[in-house]
Amino acid sequence: METIELKINGRKRTLHCLPNATLVEVLRDQLHLTGTHIGCDTTQCGACTIHVDGDAVKACTVLAVRSDGSEITTIEGLAENEASHPMQKAFKACHGLQCGFCTPGMIMSAVDLVNKGCAVDPAAIREGLSGNICRCTGYQNIVAAVLQGASEMQEQSS
Amino acid sequence: MELKQQLVIPRAVEAVWQALNDPEMLQHSLPGCQHFEQTGDNAYDMTVSAKIGPVKATFNGAIALQNLNPPFSYEISGEGKGGVAGFAKGGAKVSLKAVTESGEPATQLSYSVEAAVGGKIAQVGGRLIQGAARKMAQDFFTQFVRRLCDDETIELVIETIETP
Amino acid sequence: MSGSLIGKSVLRKEDHRFVSGKGRYTDDIQLVGLTYAAFVRSPYARADIKSFDVSDALAAPGVIAVLTGEEVAKDGLGGLPCGWMIHSKDGSEMRQPHHPVLAADRVNYLGEPVALVIADTQLEAKNAAELVMVDFEPLTAVVNPATASQAETLYEAVPNNLCYEWELGDEAATEAGLAAAAHVTTLKLTNNRLIPNAIEPRAALAEYNSGTDEIILHTTSQNPHLVRLIMTAFVQIAPEHKLRVIAPDVGGGFGSKIFIYSEETALAWAAKKLGLTIKWTADRSESFLTDAHGRDHVSEAQLALSADGEFLALKVKTVANMGAYLSTFASAVPTYLYGTLLAGQYRTPAIYVEVDSVFTNTAPVDAYRGAGRPEATYLVERIVEKAAAEMGLDPAELRRRNFIGRDQFPYQTPVALEYDTGDYEASLHKALKMADYNTFSARQAEAEARGKLRGIGLSCYIEACGLAPSQVAGALGAGVGLWESGEVRVNPTGSVTVLTGSHSHGQGHETTFAQLVADRLGLPIEDVEVVHGDTGKLDFGLGTYGSRSLAVGGSALSVAADKVVEKGRKIAAHLLRTDVDNIDFDAPVFKMIDSNESKTFQEIAFAAYVNHDYPSEELEPGLAEKAFYDPLNFTYPAGTHICEVEIDPDTGVVEIIQFVAVDDFGTIINPMIVEGQVHGGLAQGIGQALLEQAVYDDTGQLITGSYMDYCMPRADNFPDFKVGMTCTPCTHNPVGAKGCGEAGAIGSPPAVMNAITQALGGIEIDMPATSEKVWRAVQTMPALKTA
Repeated sequence: METIELKINGRKRTLHCLPNATLVEVLRDQLHLTGTHIGCDTTQCGACTIHVDGDAVKACTVLAVRSDGSEITTIEGLAENEASHPMQKAFKACHGLQCGFCTPGMIMSAVDLVNKGCAVDPAAIREGLSGNICRCTGYQNIVAAVLQGASEMQEQSS
Repeated sequence: MELKQQLVIPRAVEAVWQALNDPEMLQHSLPGCQHFEQTGDNAYDMTVSAKIGPVKATFNGAIALQNLNPPFSYEISGEGKGGVAGFAKGGAKVSLKAVTESGEPATQLSYSVEAAVGGKIAQVGGRLIQGAARKMAQDFFTQFVRRLCDDETIELVIETIETP
Repeated sequence: MSGSLIGKSVLRKEDHRFVSGKGRYTDDIQLVGLTYAAFVRSPYARADIKSFDVSDALAAPGVIAVLTGEEVAKDGLGGLPCGWMIHSKDGSEMRQPHHPVLAADRVNYLGEPVALVIADTQLEAKNAAELVMVDFEPLTAVVNPATASQAETLYEAVPNNLCYEWELGDEAATEAGLAAAAHVTTLKLTNNRLIPNAIEPRAALAEYNSGTDEIILHTTSQNPHLVRLIMTAFVQIAPEHKLRVIAPDVGGGFGSKIFIYSEETALAWAAKKLGLTIKWTADRSESFLTDAHGRDHVSEAQLALSADGEFLALKVKTVANMGAYLSTFASAVPTYLYGTLLAGQYRTPAIYVEVDSVFTNTAPVDAYRGAGRPEATYLVERIVEKAAAEMGLDPAELRRRNFIGRDQFPYQTPVALEYDTGDYEASLHKALKMADYNTFSARQAEAEARGKLRGIGLSCYIEACGLAPSQVAGALGAGVGLWESGEVRVNPTGSVTVLTGSHSHGQGHETTFAQLVADRLGLPIEDVEVVHGDTGKLDFGLGTYGSRSLAVGGSALSVAADKVVEKGRKIAAHLLRTDVDNIDFDAPVFKMIDSNESKTFQEIAFAAYVNHDYPSEELEPGLAEKAFYDPLNFTYPAGTHICEVEIDPDTGVVEIIQFVAVDDFGTIINPMIVEGQVHGGLAQGIGQALLEQAVYDDTGQLITGSYMDYCMPRADNFPDFKVGMTCTPCTHNPVGAKGCGEAGAIGSPPAVMNAITQALGGIEIDMPATSEKVWRAVQTMPALKTA
């Protein structure tokens, strides 16, 4: 067992995990943060996307020990002290989800795109989200949601 | 998967043939070989670890040398099981021809490999098998020739005869 | 207030939990004493099992038990049945090989489970699964459906690997039509095999309480009651009342979670046998190997036309791949969900179809979004477009000449169905306008000037949804009735709990059904909660598939809500000391007709539970009403899809320039949700046309077994879709709804392929139209050769 320290959704946690445990396994099985999902085993679907030190990361392909000392945000911690983050609100307002399984990863990727200034237009958003697979929505309302969420995030920060 | 290639080894046919039948030679030339044991006439058990695309597995298997026509040709056939990674099986026809290179006796070695994989390796790494097999052949013969000639600097040229 | 919620894009009630990571999917559930399962699967497409050796696995750390196919056989578990009996032309019953929960002596497809390892952790279970030694003796596999009937026989009781040889329609009349034709168009095509790929992999969690002898099975199902029925009545792992099946949040289904699979069955059996709580979640590789695949047809068709383009007859011969075993509804897909749709939107007077269903050493094939109807639509709409090209007619005009007119309903087709209503011209007209069809040639010329190839393709689809009138379904071989149940349970404070036998796994029932009931009762939507997916809470339900939820499940709720109103009127009459006939329900108020006195819905609800002076012989306390709604007919959503593509001849890359979908779904409760369903269906249909294909090699190895090799549609594969609606309400259900879930996947593939075929100057390629295939086709185009 290895011991690691993570700051998860604003709270410091000390964890013991196997050296081969992935970050998503630790989040789901040890911390019961089950909003981060596992949709594939080849880093292709993006359902497990979280933020590690401010970057979107696919948590199925990161060893937990590799994240020692990192600051992690999952979908559960995205809204901080509010009821919903602007991107979460936008997904609801634009019907940007159906079964909801890819949604947490999609939202975490979308927030990262906006933070990096890459959500400038629909084409950029479509390209930026091509690492996240959604089987339900046909992506159209997701793109609309990201556009709306981006403008609300910008308003909020200005 | 099929692969037909040939190369020229700067040693006489008899020497090459002998080396091709030397278990120690084979074991040390085979990339990822962890265990190699003779179990009978021209029959060996072996353990080989191999990586095909994202799948790395240890294969336990047996190979047999058949249709021996010394010192000109034989056939290798084998099958290995890699647990949940799946299985690999295949065979190779190896033939030797005396040639000369820079006036010295040399051997043209040609081989054709047929291989099939199943299970997870086929599922995840299927399209990478041709490349993996080529690399494995390149690595094997490079080691083989270097050991045979006792020269670690030899860079081997392998010519592909025909690929499907 | 009644009528104020129908047709409104109410935001979804379920979304907050999903966007905040509070959805509760099967794999999210943690229970005390949880153990984990891993399955040992066949690495061969076909092999004899010589022996099992589980000693190493049992000795591995954390391992609790290893169960193999031998234990399944010893315990006498039944096989997994197929619920739809099809009869061959000669009247004989379809052939159904035994489908074991775990194979004991022979495996018939790659990935077939043969053993189950249970351990303290998932990792230990997976590691130990590698130690189970199964001595397989590989056998030659039969992979290609087109030649399967001439290949080695896979099952003794299934000569020529033929499950059935089915036919529908009038062969003689069809031959006569072909003989009399001025023109006959022929077409051969393959409907590519697909893998459903719901993003939540299948999962199951079975717990057993030895004190109550009850099994609770959480599983990723579109129809939990059917899971319970099959596991208890057929596989016989427990009595029906001792198995509770819960389908919690389910991350997409698309058909693949209708079926009852080995894994959840084995888990429920093992939980009881060993007294354990066991969880299993598929990894994506397992999903690729074992989720029932879709489509996989090889067809030939002939369309007979008169000199002026009137359809005279259609003759179709199809080989359908069933895979290694008959999955739960597999046999119905290429027959009653396929052959019956070959009339399309047209008056074709004579149709004859033959379907040979064959077994192969591949994963079972069953319903995938559309299920049979996309295959029918693809064939009809490709051959119609080809006929138009051959006869030099505008494809829209040729369709118009053959449409069933809006004044011709109800319309009896020559392939069993009676369409109740529709207006095909209206959808076509609207779609052509939205697509600027009339100015296409200018766009084509402009593209040509840039060295690009443009094409535009139409598809006028029809589907039979709202599965299904039980009498008809029964007559056609269905093993169950296909009605739906609903309950409207009014709580004493006037809020309402709605229970439905439908299941939502993305469709938004928690909103749409709440809208429907809230509207009928005049309540705020917040006061209506929808409950589904739990056999412990609902009487019985048949689940969600075949675009049936609103048309059948919604209709049940509509009838139940009407019953609540009727009961409420009785209570109001009692409270107001008048006759029931003197009470009118003006939602949400029960009013006396001949006075100003009234009672609110809340007053009636409260009175229903707390009143002490009921005339108990006339009026029971309580206010909760159930309905079992059995539809009178299928519903017939229909519409026109138009696709415009541009091909880069240098690379073969196909770009979708625009995609227009105009659909007639009858009455729409929530347009936002309906448009979302259309978008999703289109993505899957266009994905089939351009990207997706399951490929087995000659030995039955799946070589498209991951997202690296099976090309899933991604955000950058599509433009925004243009979606429009027309409306002819369904005439025979109380909601007027026809169903919208599958239309996108049904209508779109032929529109895409017709556009590509036109851009390629008539060169036909099979789906998926990958850039390689398109590029190779471009190389044979005469215009380019001379250029």
